Amino acid sequence: MARDAILAEELTYRYGELTAVDHISFNVAESEIMGFLGPNGAGKTTTFKMLTGQLKPKGGQARLLGMDVTKNVEKVQGEIGVCFETTNLYEQMSALENLNLFARLFGMRSFDGNALLERVGLPGRGKDRVETYSKGMKQRLMVARSILNKPRVLFLDEPTVGLDPTSSETIRNIILEERERGATVFLTTHDMLEADKLSDRVAFMDQGKIVALDTPHQLKQQYGRRALKAKVTGDDGGLEDREITLDTPETAEAVRKLFSQEKVITIHSEEATLEDIFISLTGRGLV
Amino acid sequence: MNWRIIGTLAAKDFSLFFRNKLFAALTAIAFIFYIVVYFVMPGTVNENLEIGLYSPVTLPAFTEMQEEGLEVEMVASEDALKEGVIEGRYVAGVSLPADMMEKLASQQKPTISLYFTPDVPQEMKDTVALIIRELAYLQTGQSLNVEVTEEILGPDMTGTPIPPRDRLRPLLAIMILMVEMMGLASLLSEEMERGTVHALLVTPMSIKELFIAKGITGTGLAFGQAVLFMLVVGGFGGGPLIILVALLLGAVLVTGAAFLISSVSKDFMSVLAWSIPAFIIFMVPSFSILFPGTITNWIKIIPSYYLVDIVHRVANFGSGWGDVWLNLLILLGFCLVITWIGISVLRRRVR
Repeated sequence: MARDAILAEELTYRYGELTAVDHISFNVAESEIMGFLGPNGAGKTTTFKMLTGQLKPKGGQARLLGMDVTKNVEKVQGEIGVCFETTNLYEQMSALENLNLFARLFGMRSFDGNALLERVGLPGRGKDRVETYSKGMKQRLMVARSILNKPRVLFLDEPTVGLDPTSSETIRNIILEERERGATVFLTTHDMLEADKLSDRVAFMDQGKIVALDTPHQLKQQYGRRALKAKVTGDDGGLEDREITLDTPETAEAVRKLFSQEKVITIHSEEATLEDIFISLTGRGLV
Repeated sequence: MNWRIIGTLAAKDFSLFFRNKLFAALTAIAFIFYIVVYFVMPGTVNENLEIGLYSPVTLPAFTEMQEEGLEVEMVASEDALKEGVIEGRYVAGVSLPADMMEKLASQQKPTISLYFTPDVPQEMKDTVALIIRELAYLQTGQSLNVEVTEEILGPDMTGTPIPPRDRLRPLLAIMILMVEMMGLASLLSEEMERGTVHALLVTPMSIKELFIAKGITGTGLAFGQAVLFMLVVGGFGGGPLIILVALLLGAVLVTGAAFLISSVSKDFMSVLAWSIPAFIIFMVPSFSILFPGTITNWIKIIPSYYLVDIVHRVANFGSGWGDVWLNLLILLGFCLVITWIGISVLRRRVR
């Protein structure tokens, strides 16, 4: 069984009277992609900051690769890569200068910035100042910066938010490549489709607490509801929707009635989405 | 402590500082401007009183007067005299009445007109009036039976007055340091506003190393330029090592102030808004050197006073370690306190 790369035990953080993270516990195995889902203000970013050593927990403990994050913050930070939600690059420097700066901070003696830029889809743009880059290019550079030290644990905070499909796809592929390399990935997002596509397991966070944590498949099995969705011709000649819940004793009879009594135009099965599950668990949406 | 990380970050900051076109230009222009101002200021002190004299009658005591420190130039008319005063050729204009001799002979008081521009200090007016009365006595053959004694307070500068530009030197040095304070404060606030500081702090760099790197950048920029300025204007005379130490402490002082300013600033405009009061306060002690006697002891609560005083006394009077050690110690104290406060508040903001 894989060892834990990340272990959070009763992790708590308060901003004054507000408890942003409320005694959460979870683990992430080595080479696993963990999706951390939740709406804005759920406590995802605060958890992210405690795990990366940016915030000191007010209670509980975070361990990375077996090390207490609070006590070994610099050692831990030598083993991780962090991609922030908001762009925080040195805009007056070129992409290569940005990467070389961080490579030196990580103590890397040999580093090929051009190869890394090529990998994130920015070939030939290394000498251009970052201020001339588009948002998607900057985000790709942020991802490149976060993986330049070949981190054992990669933290990504909303890495594809607001990006065009091509940039998003490039970043998703890099995440998967990093996992293949052996890195553990901690991904915070409120994009449930992205989490569903990438994550081995997902955690739903709401009001500082983890309300569910499992594989997307298991969550759908446990909390979701499969259904058949059909479009039929109505009495006035227009299209009407019909929905039949699957996996109930009445399903077979309902399907038989649908085809015998109505004119079915289209029909397809539908699985519950992670958003549906989140809504059913918390009573509100992810955004 | 990882000096490789500190060196990397300091090199990045130096590079970014000079890539900021505004600050690079401001630094270069200010530096050249201060040097030009220094050399444009008079390098010597003109101790002569230049007086214009209109005398319709021949009065040898006035017209042939060749006292040391007094230059009298005869003019042809009262209008020419007034014009010379207005144009600044004479400190004062003296117009003697045509019936002066007759009135003096008949024990009457002749009226002598003196012309000044409005900005002439009262002391100068009194001096000129005194000279005229003295000359009037001389003309009538009587002398004043007065004994005059002088007592010199402070360094005796008789015969070696300090040229205006050398009085200006500490002010210009402070201004150079302050410009760099603004530069560093802007660099720091930008680092926080853009979030790049968070990117740095998730690398193996500690917050202590971050502050040391920033301190080296700020102190290096300020100290380097102040030293260069003093070299160009010949400000190391007297005690170069003392001045170097004082400038280094001054550079640390403004670096601490930059930490403070950046902790409350969000952008360049707020850096500017906070820097201007600091600029003014730090410059005030220099005015006590430019205009001696105009400012009282309260300026000793301003940290820059000790820097200005050391530079002035060492460069202009040749004071040694024994004369300025206490000021150096107080300046060091201010450096430590301001830097500590600056780091404490900035650390809270960074975190």
